[in-house]
Amino acid sequence: MSILRSAVREIALNLHSKPGVRMITLLMVGLAFVVFDTFLVISWNLQNLMSREESLVGMEVFLNRDVVESQGRAIGDLISGMQGIQAVYYVSPQEAEALFRAELPSRTGLLDVMGTDFRLPSSLQITFETDLMDQERINELSRAVSAIEGVDEAVYGEDYLPGLVKTVSTIRQLVVLLGIVLVSSISLVVFYTVRLSVVRRSLTVEVMRTVGAPWWFIRIPFVVEGVLMGIAGSAGGLALAAVLSAVMAGAVAHRFMPVSWMTMVILLGAVTGTIGALAGSYEKERRI
Amino acid sequence: MRSVRLSYGRWPALDKIEMDIEQGEFLVLSGPSGAGKTTLLRLIWMKEKPDSGFVEVAGFHSDRVGKRDLPQLRRKIGIVFQDFRLLHSRTVFDNVALPLQVTGAAGRIVQKRVIELLARMGLSHRRNSFPHELSGGEQQRVAIARAMVGHPVILLADEPTGNLDPEVSRQVVDLLLEINRGGTTVVMATHDPRQVPPGKGRFLFLDKGVLRGADRWAELEDEV
Repeated sequence: MSILRSAVREIALNLHSKPGVRMITLLMVGLAFVVFDTFLVISWNLQNLMSREESLVGMEVFLNRDVVESQGRAIGDLISGMQGIQAVYYVSPQEAEALFRAELPSRTGLLDVMGTDFRLPSSLQITFETDLMDQERINELSRAVSAIEGVDEAVYGEDYLPGLVKTVSTIRQLVVLLGIVLVSSISLVVFYTVRLSVVRRSLTVEVMRTVGAPWWFIRIPFVVEGVLMGIAGSAGGLALAAVLSAVMAGAVAHRFMPVSWMTMVILLGAVTGTIGALAGSYEKERRI
Repeated sequence: MRSVRLSYGRWPALDKIEMDIEQGEFLVLSGPSGAGKTTLLRLIWMKEKPDSGFVEVAGFHSDRVGKRDLPQLRRKIGIVFQDFRLLHSRTVFDNVALPLQVTGAAGRIVQKRVIELLARMGLSHRRNSFPHELSGGEQQRVAIARAMVGHPVILLADEPTGNLDPEVSRQVVDLLLEINRGGTTVVMATHDPRQVPPGKGRFLFLDKGVLRGADRWAELEDEV
């Protein structure tokens, strides 16, 4: 316990000195996190948008006119057994006509022109599992369904779905890329700050070594400094991003990121600070 | 030390060093500036490793000692530098206590040992002072107290009187001799061997990295 108490004392002594440099580092870390947090908020809102769309997006399978109800339901059963299908609903010609009249009342005249013998084809309305938002898989499923005997045509949101999926995917990749850039750049900022700390305390480090201090005892003040800078910087950035989000709320409807994401941001700050501090203290300390 | 050679770049700092230091002896390592005295001491506390040959100190062999073993070795060695190397943001007490604190010694043991040493060094009244408030002689005594607090088997003093006036230098040498009489091996590097009275220790002379080996004060004096 005594050595831990001494280590805590060393940490306090280190943090107590030269707060100016540390403030500049905190500012840089905080600003970097504001940019990252902004992208996270965009990503979070796009993900929400996509989730909403996911519940709406489905596939409509039109059956041949000669397919009777029992055959149509059998095809439905076949499709519902496929991977990625959440539900299949059979729409009879009568129901289709009722839906047409309800949804497009201005065009009901078309049905009347076709005469009383005309019937809309029966169809199947398919909804996907929520994780089936991969364009490749949807296309594959569409081809498989189209190949079933009795199926005339399978249609889904070809127009906008690929674009939405691609946008969300791009944003996600951008967030990951930004995360990597952020981790590297913040680590570098912390790295140089900790290096400065080691230089500033080089006499202490040297004396510690000559009197036989264990390596972790020498290094822990610098690592704690890095971790604290990472946490404080990410928390500060988060607070600033929240303020910006609140200010922007009137202009662009959106929600701020959830608590779990905020926790991850703080953790990322801690990890980034640790990496920078370990590298900085090791690189400089071994030269003393 | 056996067949020790150490170079900085192309220039050999030490060459063909063969040396034994007996337990409890007072060794004066003398020679002009740049002769290799400090380098030889650095080999003893394994701040440096020889390019060839080996050094063995308190059971630690330079060929086999790992980075993680060094703290254990350093706890058996006390080191005093010419420039004292005291930590200026800490009091005299804290400077002296440092070697015990970093090894996890209990608070009451640290307290007892530091107070005892400060009394022995005549620094009891200075325990709460900061290094910059002390004279050069007092600072060096604090440095010696710090070196001695962990009961080292060997005390290395690198030009311990280099920054002190003759009277204070004599007091510091007397203190080192007293420590030696207590059983601690002392190796003192100095450019002026006359600081140590004849017959009080073994004298070795280093010249351009080579041990010339005058082992008696009288012989050494003739050489100088």
